[in-house]
Amino acid sequence: MGDVILTMKDIDKSFPGVHALDHVNFEVRRGEVHALMGENGAGKSTLMKVLTGIYQKDSGSITYKGQEVAFHNTREAQDAGIVIVHQELNMVGDLTVAQNIFIGREPKKGIRVDDKKMIEDSKKLFQDLNIEIDPREKMSNLTVGKQQMCEIAKAISHKAEVIIFDEPSAALTEKEIADLFVIIRDLREKNYGIVYISHRMDEIKMITDRVTVMRDGGYVGTLITKDSTKEDIINMMVGRVIYEDPKEHSMVAPDAPVVLKVEHLNAGKMVQDVSFELRKGEILGFSGLMGAGRTETARALFGADPKQSGKISIMDKQTGKLREVTINTPQDAVKYGIGYLSEDRRRYGVVVQKSVNENTTLATMEEFTNGIFINKAKEKKVSEKYIKELATKTPSGDQLVVNLSGGNQQKVVIAKWLTRDSDILIFDEPTRGIDVGAKNEIYKLMSKLAAEGKSIIMISSEMTEILRMSDRIIIMCEGKVTGDIDISEATQEHIMDKATRNID
Amino acid sequence: MEKLKQNPIVKKLGLNRILLVCILVLMFVVFKVVLGSKFPVGDSVKSTLNYVYFLGFLSLGVTFVIATGGIDFSIGPVMFCCALVSGYCMTSYGVPCAAAMVICVLIGLAFGIFNGWLVSYLSVPAFIVSMASMNIAKGIASVFTKTQSVSWPLSSDPTNGWFRNIVSYKGFPVGLVIFLVMAVVCGIVLYNTKPGRYILCLGSNTEAVRLSGVNTKKWNMLAYVICGFLVGIAALFFVATYTTVQPGYGDQYNNEAIAGCVMGGTSMVGGLASIGGTVIGVFIISLLQQGIMAFGLGKGQQMIITGIIVIVAVYADVSARRRKN
Repeated sequence: MGDVILTMKDIDKSFPGVHALDHVNFEVRRGEVHALMGENGAGKSTLMKVLTGIYQKDSGSITYKGQEVAFHNTREAQDAGIVIVHQELNMVGDLTVAQNIFIGREPKKGIRVDDKKMIEDSKKLFQDLNIEIDPREKMSNLTVGKQQMCEIAKAISHKAEVIIFDEPSAALTEKEIADLFVIIRDLREKNYGIVYISHRMDEIKMITDRVTVMRDGGYVGTLITKDSTKEDIINMMVGRVIYEDPKEHSMVAPDAPVVLKVEHLNAGKMVQDVSFELRKGEILGFSGLMGAGRTETARALFGADPKQSGKISIMDKQTGKLREVTINTPQDAVKYGIGYLSEDRRRYGVVVQKSVNENTTLATMEEFTNGIFINKAKEKKVSEKYIKELATKTPSGDQLVVNLSGGNQQKVVIAKWLTRDSDILIFDEPTRGIDVGAKNEIYKLMSKLAAEGKSIIMISSEMTEILRMSDRIIIMCEGKVTGDIDISEATQEHIMDKATRNID
Repeated sequence: MEKLKQNPIVKKLGLNRILLVCILVLMFVVFKVVLGSKFPVGDSVKSTLNYVYFLGFLSLGVTFVIATGGIDFSIGPVMFCCALVSGYCMTSYGVPCAAAMVICVLIGLAFGIFNGWLVSYLSVPAFIVSMASMNIAKGIASVFTKTQSVSWPLSSDPTNGWFRNIVSYKGFPVGLVIFLVMAVVCGIVLYNTKPGRYILCLGSNTEAVRLSGVNTKKWNMLAYVICGFLVGIAALFFVATYTTVQPGYGDQYNNEAIAGCVMGGTSMVGGLASIGGTVIGVFIISLLQQGIMAFGLGKGQQMIITGIIVIVAVYADVSARRRKN
């Protein structure tokens, strides 16, 4: 490790209602790979956005190559030599590799682009990195791994000295990751300062020199990787005090029947051989890190996205026996009594330009019609019943949903599925973007629904929420189920361990 | 202004619609004052109404499509295609007038099904679909009629002249009654029935409606089918007032119908539609055509003005939405 190239000291940043960064410290030396770790929402991305000028810090200082700096946009950071290689690659598929690398700063010959020089320069870049890519190849013909190499070459062509990798391995195969590590080690040799953001514990052990852990927007500490164990890092990541009481034991009756059984569900890369059971009156928590495939599992189960294979069985209300069903569209799922409450309510949950009444009956129109005519009086009655029951804050049922707060919009979506009398409710991040008071109301409501015999699948990235609400917890990592534990056995460490586990 | 908005009568009728009616009256007064004897009241009203009939049905139809967030640029040429093909059947193959009228509406319906299926089930963008079917409609009409114009029977025609009664019967404006009744029916369909509810909701947020277990493709397609049906009826009113249709035309009515619809408060983004607004919008556009003609200006100027109206109306809608967000 060489001298310190970048120091971030006491960085503080608030957004309305959120203290996103609370006096965070971070430094990078030349010739080191420095991991930045933390749970979802710990503040890693925010910190990097402050560094590269996307956000402006409220206080604190950034020292780069001995001088205090404050970048106002990514362009300034880039010009100074700090570059991010993003998780989602920012490449134009229809252009060639060379055109992508030099986009926006093409070498010119008169008014024409000097293609020859561009290709020569790209070749040289790749040679330096020991990568074999033809600069004349169309970007869309390359694998994701190769595209990422191009992104790295682009970063270096910017005369970068600090390169930030934001979950670079998320979309790569084993072989591609190995290639990536060769390049990263090479860059380390060449004295670049490297920041490596990842959730994968084994990668951290393999490639990084130091680890800085963040939690809830705060700085927890920095460790030398080779001197610390996986458990040390996990403990730093989760070691927060839980204010809400976690559930101690399952509230589900021991003889409660299984209402939903999913076997060997496969849907794309994000859902691989997923199996689980849901029992009557149970709140089944789905835990995992971002990109673990939980939402994808829910969407495939609900028929919102296509699936390749898998068997889904649902309890027949009459016979009480499990029966295999085919769910290819949300229509099918709704027919079998499943309701899905998306994390992105405004896009997938409510029709914001329509009223509370109209949204409430959206999934159950046929019960509110005589022939084709809508019975608006009945609609109003039912909608108002739920406004009262769920304590939805709205001046009336005629209010447009766009005017309601996030928590109340969520209640409108709940009302929609209760009107439908759905027995299985999938809550995807039920309290995301909802303020604390309303959060508690949603929790109470979910517990009440479970007590009344509804079965709930709750996808949540908040550890406290998982431990407070779930009767049982399914943990996913990279599209696979890595754990299925009863609440009585669940601890944060236990869950985090399974959520960062790579199984092959 | 705020106070006016809160007035219960204003609230009930909608400020926009009241303003539009004021514009309509104002336009009429201005035309009369400026043009004097060149704008005889009785004749002007009559020719405005004649224009309202066919344009009104086009506009009502396209209101459904725009409510889904789609668009249909084929309505004008499809209207001509309906009138030409069915009229040609009558004049050249001896199909009875009543049957020709049915064929006319069926052709419109067929185009609606075709457009709706492509847009909803095959996910081809509505813009492209309607541009293509505009040309297909023109082409079919030309091929079928061997590029000859077709004239529908005059009212003096002893056997088939009766069909003109759909416009006026012994001086009574039957057409106006039919149009207004149809507008009311459209309003009921859009605001008080399940299909209408789905059309408006999916226009606002297709994905949320789909995830509520609704077959969004079916209802999206229905909007185009309704539109096609109304275009077929528009064709009947066109020939019942203007007698002759020529293959290869009809585009100019697209703009006018869409202008009437958007001016009335239907949002191009989908989800919001006003049938009442469309009706008033159609009257304004129709009166404007008469005024332009009375000023001695031609088709060219007319097209420029309606083009500008569409842009202004859509811009007003877009900027109002931006302010709200």
